Amino acid sequence: MSLNSQFLGNRTFSRHLVSRQYQQKKRKKMIIAGLMLTSMVDMFSLLVIFLLQNFSASPELAVVAKGVKLPVSSTSREIKDAPVLSISEAGIYLDQKFVGLTEELLEQPSPLMEKLQGLRETWQKSHPNQNFPGEISVQADQAISSAVVSRVMGMLPSQAFGSIQLAVVGGGRG
Amino acid sequence: MAVAVGGASGSGRRKSLDAELNLVSFIDLLSMCICFLLMTAVWIEVGSLQVKQSHGTEGPAAVSQSHEVDLAVSSATSLELTIKKGGRAIQKQQLKAGSIEELSHQLSDALAAFVSSPAGKSGPVSAAMITSSASVSYGDLIRVMDALRRNQVVNLGVVPASRDSALAGVNGGGAK
Repeated sequence: MSLNSQFLGNRTFSRHLVSRQYQQKKRKKMIIAGLMLTSMVDMFSLLVIFLLQNFSASPELAVVAKGVKLPVSSTSREIKDAPVLSISEAGIYLDQKFVGLTEELLEQPSPLMEKLQGLRETWQKSHPNQNFPGEISVQADQAISSAVVSRVMGMLPSQAFGSIQLAVVGGGRG
Repeated sequence: MAVAVGGASGSGRRKSLDAELNLVSFIDLLSMCICFLLMTAVWIEVGSLQVKQSHGTEGPAAVSQSHEVDLAVSSATSLELTIKKGGRAIQKQQLKAGSIEELSHQLSDALAAFVSSPAGKSGPVSAAMITSSASVSYGDLIRVMDALRRNQVVNLGVVPASRDSALAGVNGGGAK
């Protein structure tokens, strides 16, 4: 104790602690200043603008029905807004609504025909002075038999749906 | 970040008029925006192949100068290619390969060879009708269509299968 008071004097250690704490605080401040918040905000803003520009304007078109794995195509074009007919081994769906079992509809297609007729009539009521475009998008599982798809496609022109878009995964990706 | 609202002028007591923007909440908002956009972004690019199923809408005079292709795909490894002009077959070819990839390459080569031949130079190959059996999967049919579209054959049609053939396809009639 006498040695302490002789060599270090009164309250020297506490002063040392305070100065060390001050230095630590100073060091921390320097680290925070090194983050450069302005450029970080700039980067975030650019990211938001980029993502907004790439945001799909019609996300419902990209909704692929459950149990349907679309085939890959390297020559695909942009998909247009049209009613979606999904064909899988389990059943056939029109605009995400179940129409019937595939096997039953191939034998007796009248439920599908009625739904298609309803769609056409609704369109014609809402567009009184325009010709019906007859566009429909067909989503079919890649493993299903092509005879099933072609049979269903053959039914569509009878309800004036003659322009068929076969939905595919573009860009040659799996 | 600070925004200068006005300068301190005159000889009076200088008072800082810099308004501080709250950067923390601003960064929070931007982070949330980025998270939302990343989670709702559509990463699978869904495209389409256009097929015309209606018949008899094209004028015959416009079609007469061009060639038409009839494809009968009997399996994933064999098909029959018939090139017609004015409804008359001018070339018939049977293509066989080990896989659908090879078959589509052979089809591309056959079409390219026809287009460069003297018969092919008399008019473009404008349309194709595809007939497929129940043992051919839909994915394989799309690959055949891809091969046609790569050779500028863009007017594609699919011949509807018979009811029995379609039912055989549903009941596992050989499609993958």
